[in-house]
Amino acid sequence: MFSQKVAQQSLRRLAVQQPYAMRWSMMGAASPAAVAIGKNVQTRQATSSTNTEDPTQILAKQRLNRPVSPHLSIYKPQITWIGSSLHRITGIALSGPLYLWATAYLASPLLGWHLESASIAAAFGALPVAAKILLKTVMALPFTYHCMNGVRHLIWDTGRALSNPSIIKTGWTVVGLAVSSALALALI
Amino acid sequence: MASLRTTSRLFAASRPMFRPAALARTYATVDASTVDPNASKQPAMKTFKIYRWNPDKPSEKPQMQSYDLDLNKTGPMMLDALIRIKNELDPTLTFRRSCREGICGSCAMNIDGVNTLACLCRIPTETTQESRIYPLPHTYVVKDLVPDLTHFYKQYKSIKPYLQNDTPTPDGLENRQSPEERRKLDGLYECILCACCSTSCPSYWWNSEEYLGPAILLQSYRWLADSRDEKTAERKQALDNSMSVYRCHTILNCTRTCPKGLNPGHAIAEVKKMLASH
Amino acid sequence: MASIVRSSPLLRQSLATPRSSLLSKNVGVSQLVAFHASARKQILPPQPLNDPAPLPETHPSEGSYHWSFERLVCLGLVPVTIAPFAAGSFNPVMDAVLCSLIVAHSHVGFQASIIDYFPAARVPKTRTFLNWLLRAFTLTTAVGLYEFETNDVGLTEGLRRLWTA
Repeated sequence: MFSQKVAQQSLRRLAVQQPYAMRWSMMGAASPAAVAIGKNVQTRQATSSTNTEDPTQILAKQRLNRPVSPHLSIYKPQITWIGSSLHRITGIALSGPLYLWATAYLASPLLGWHLESASIAAAFGALPVAAKILLKTVMALPFTYHCMNGVRHLIWDTGRALSNPSIIKTGWTVVGLAVSSALALALI
Repeated sequence: MASLRTTSRLFAASRPMFRPAALARTYATVDASTVDPNASKQPAMKTFKIYRWNPDKPSEKPQMQSYDLDLNKTGPMMLDALIRIKNELDPTLTFRRSCREGICGSCAMNIDGVNTLACLCRIPTETTQESRIYPLPHTYVVKDLVPDLTHFYKQYKSIKPYLQNDTPTPDGLENRQSPEERRKLDGLYECILCACCSTSCPSYWWNSEEYLGPAILLQSYRWLADSRDEKTAERKQALDNSMSVYRCHTILNCTRTCPKGLNPGHAIAEVKKMLASH
Repeated sequence: MASIVRSSPLLRQSLATPRSSLLSKNVGVSQLVAFHASARKQILPPQPLNDPAPLPETHPSEGSYHWSFERLVCLGLVPVTIAPFAAGSFNPVMDAVLCSLIVAHSHVGFQASIIDYFPAARVPKTRTFLNWLLRAFTLTTAVGLYEFETNDVGLTEGLRRLWTA
């Protein structure tokens, strides 16, 4: 301990009397591991200059080079954001076909398509049972999930059930209920 | 004086290095001989994969770099591992840290896929699984794990995060609150603005220019809920547009990730309720 | 000087690992893996550093009114979505209510997606185009559903027939 103290004192003295010498000595031996590694010695290009450039421009120039850190690809899959993205995807999966079908229905007399309920039901009825069940599941699952998660959203908007445990619990409840009710609907 | 022993044992002669004790002092490294005599026999090596990007070489792509540490000789927290890597393996590794106790918010980063403070995040003891450390998601990287939070702070400034009250109190002393009114600020004033929640929010990823994000909205609510503030109507009016608040789609990554255990999602729900009740 | 050599515990430790040697002391630093980053975009315009970020203009019809309207539509959708399951199908009036609520809800949902993924600052033309495309589609959908309600069996009855086909 004594030797340590002496060394510290001498360092302080050095720092006061000869600050440049102090800096030099520290630079020379600042990071032993780095010196040992050799290639990891920190280099830095001159960042300060004497010309009076607008500092906001320096930042703007720096920003042009900066990468955006990874986001979707590295964030841990959690029921919060996965469930939310499913909500949007299922919403688009429900409304998108409805929009396309309704628009096509409007245009069907002009195009000569048969999109009235009788012909669609007949075409669907002609499919094999397995295909029917599969198609019904594919149609029912977005519907059940979006509806049930929508109710969850409505509850949240009143400021309730927003604690961490209830977010997780209700999230998985919705997933379970949606899958089971979709299967039930498909088997009707 | 532990390191003196190890030094003299192995490398005293071969390493004529000099480093002031004040600089070398660190708590990140644990001397195994003082902790558990059995632990040092079997090193528990864990791999840390860390995002690296050097602004001095802007043409190079960001990359993941691996570091191996013996957990028996490392402190319990992720920040300890980072400090130890910087001290002993690679001094060029760059990250922010200050208080090491979750009160400054400097060491916010994405650890194993979740935004948190490195100083509050325990190193998983499972050594077969590597730990991955990234900067806060969808931020501009200044260097390695250091994100550019300029815009985040500018957004904080935009909500006027200070008491706006022009009425002098009757006795000329402080603005008083009842305990009930004060209680409304619990869970709001503790926010340290580490940006963990904002950068975990997909909506904020896509629209960070105009959407304020969970952290700033929690701060907005902190001033909306303050009984002493007189500019509540103006504050509400400033937020009443399609971008500032309503890009929140109640994804709730914010509440899930907050390292301080606060609830930004609930604060935003309250902001929406306040805005809806004219 | 207790801590002249900070790296000594590490080096001792690196000796224990099989793949290191005294010559390559760079033991922990290895395996540079190329990383795919997002495309670089200059999102943030250079503004004076210490100025607050500009807030968008107050616009309640895009803000709080819009939000309250959307909540009312959602609340209205809950009973009219459940009821057909109990009743089998709807009478034309309730069917019309259901259809108009669905169209309103879909329009708002698509609109939110456009605002989220096509920021006006970055892709102003795409944004405008998509907004008009959405308006056109919402209109044709509304008219198409009206035609279906008046000339065909109606939405709930149509779905019932499809489901039991």
